[in-house]
Amino acid sequence: MRLKFSLITRREFLNTLFGGWLIAFLSGSFYALLKFAYPTLGKEPDFVVLNAKDFTDIPANSVKPFPWGGKLGFIFKRPDNKTVALKGVCTHMECNIAYKPEDKKFYCPCHKGWFDMDGKVIEGPPPKPLEFFELTQEGEKLIVAKKGIKVELPKA
Amino acid sequence: MSCQRLKKWFDERYDFEGIRSFTKHKLIPVHKYGILYYTGGLTMFLFALQFITGMVLSFYYVPYHEQAHKSIIEIVTKLNMGWLFRSLHHWGAQLAIGVLFIHVFGTLLLKAYRKPRELIWITGFILLAISIFFGLSGYFLLWDERAFAAVRVATGGAGNLPVIGGFIKSFLRGGLDVTGETLIRFYGFHVSVLPFFTLLLIGIHVLLVQYHGMSIPLSQKDNVKKYEPFFPNVLYKDFILWLIALGVVVTLSVFLPPEIGKKADPLAAPPENIKPEWYFLFLFQTLKLFPGDIMGLNGEMIAIILISLGILFFFLIPFLDRKSARDEKSTAFTWIGIIYTVYFVVMTIIGFIT
Amino acid sequence: MKEKMLEKIKMIRDRKIKIAIKSSMFLILISFFTAISLWAEEQIQVFPSAPYDRYIIYQALALFWAGIIGLIVIIRMKLKEIERTQDMGIDKEEKDIPFLD
Repeated sequence: MRLKFSLITRREFLNTLFGGWLIAFLSGSFYALLKFAYPTLGKEPDFVVLNAKDFTDIPANSVKPFPWGGKLGFIFKRPDNKTVALKGVCTHMECNIAYKPEDKKFYCPCHKGWFDMDGKVIEGPPPKPLEFFELTQEGEKLIVAKKGIKVELPKA
Repeated sequence: MSCQRLKKWFDERYDFEGIRSFTKHKLIPVHKYGILYYTGGLTMFLFALQFITGMVLSFYYVPYHEQAHKSIIEIVTKLNMGWLFRSLHHWGAQLAIGVLFIHVFGTLLLKAYRKPRELIWITGFILLAISIFFGLSGYFLLWDERAFAAVRVATGGAGNLPVIGGFIKSFLRGGLDVTGETLIRFYGFHVSVLPFFTLLLIGIHVLLVQYHGMSIPLSQKDNVKKYEPFFPNVLYKDFILWLIALGVVVTLSVFLPPEIGKKADPLAAPPENIKPEWYFLFLFQTLKLFPGDIMGLNGEMIAIILISLGILFFFLIPFLDRKSARDEKSTAFTWIGIIYTVYFVVMTIIGFIT
Repeated sequence: MKEKMLEKIKMIRDRKIKIAIKSSMFLILISFFTAISLWAEEQIQVFPSAPYDRYIIYQALALFWAGIIGLIVIIRMKLKEIERTQDMGIDKEEKDIPFLD
């Protein structure tokens, strides 16, 4: 059956569209407002500064933890003696991961996720690879920074 | 339908029919200068935006001279969206003051102040003064070098007024000099005293506009093409303008976030080439015109007195302009309006360039 | 016929002038403000510096403008609809229309 008339008037259609769009727009703006008004919890730092001495004698094929904000970070000396830094948190449900030297893999015990040395997911539920940081040394200071961040150390 | 029941609930208790028929009968004349009718609503919208962003910023700002500057850095660098909301508050203020000046000079030039709307002019004038004080107190809260110097100059300038000057100066500064006490005082003004009076006066201002209806410029009396209903036609056009303004504020905030200056040091000399915010430039430039000493009198005091007289005259224009009160053409006051406008614009630009 | 045409031309001209005034007002304002921010010295990062964060911000801004433009288009459509009913003169007597259910 073909209807000869539209069941909704042009005005009703426009009103619904207008109302819906307005609600979407306002709730988007309100979300931003709430995000600022709500206390900022556990925001990750852009970079942390460590004492370089503490991290010089890590044996190859092992990790040493450091605090990345309130979370776990690893300084990782790879089997080929290259030193890198990464976030020691699983990308799946944010459990802390551990390094398994015998397998040369990172392991998340919560849901049995496995990552290889470059942080790629090999097995299990994690959706994204591990996050690696940029590592630079300035004299006594070892600076671990998010990729692409311009580090500005406070003077004095 | 619960909506219908809710409507009935209210209808049984309140006379909405009156309001509804009032909104239906509010008409806006359409003519050449019709666009100026929108500046008032736009100013109000931008002020509402300032209230909202200001409320959330007050959750984090610390109004104490040792921590004020640091807390702003923390808002900008550490908090979620903090950089955006500080930027929004800054650009919202710039735009609000800008539109406000267009509104004021539009009213002045089209003589919308004339009888019977003198009270609208008075409330508007007080709102303008409040807005400027909002700006001054707001940027003092940054507690940086520029703000410090600006507030010293502004309160010191008020101190040059004869008789009451010293009293005003100490009241504003909360002491003999600009110190941490001044910061707390200005914070109080900025977040409680001024917003309260702004709301009160905006309420009166808008109610009076509803009472009198829109003023039609004398020259357009016979050129009104038609009348548009305020609700819904003009209100929708208002919405469009507000949305554009919101977009402009957000875009400016993202691309040009205001920098954070050096922390104020009460003992250090102010930096070279220091300038106040743009809406103070015309005053700043006027002060520069006067030499320090005019025939043995304090030049600055004379400047302040002349400026005060100029402002007083501006305030009294609706009562002095007898001709337009009788709906006659009043060329003298057209020229006075033009002089005020041109003076403001030219002095602002000169202050800007030099 | 001719008068109507002339009126229309006048209307279009007026509209053009209005648009010119509007846009020039905005331009003046904006150029004012950009100049202000130019004197400020660069010191503390006032904008997230990680490229990922910046990407998200620009994306959100684009989305925001899409929302605004969408709303403006809808409002204009509504305005046209309202003006159409007003021209027909049927917006005033809604109260007396009997219900048909």
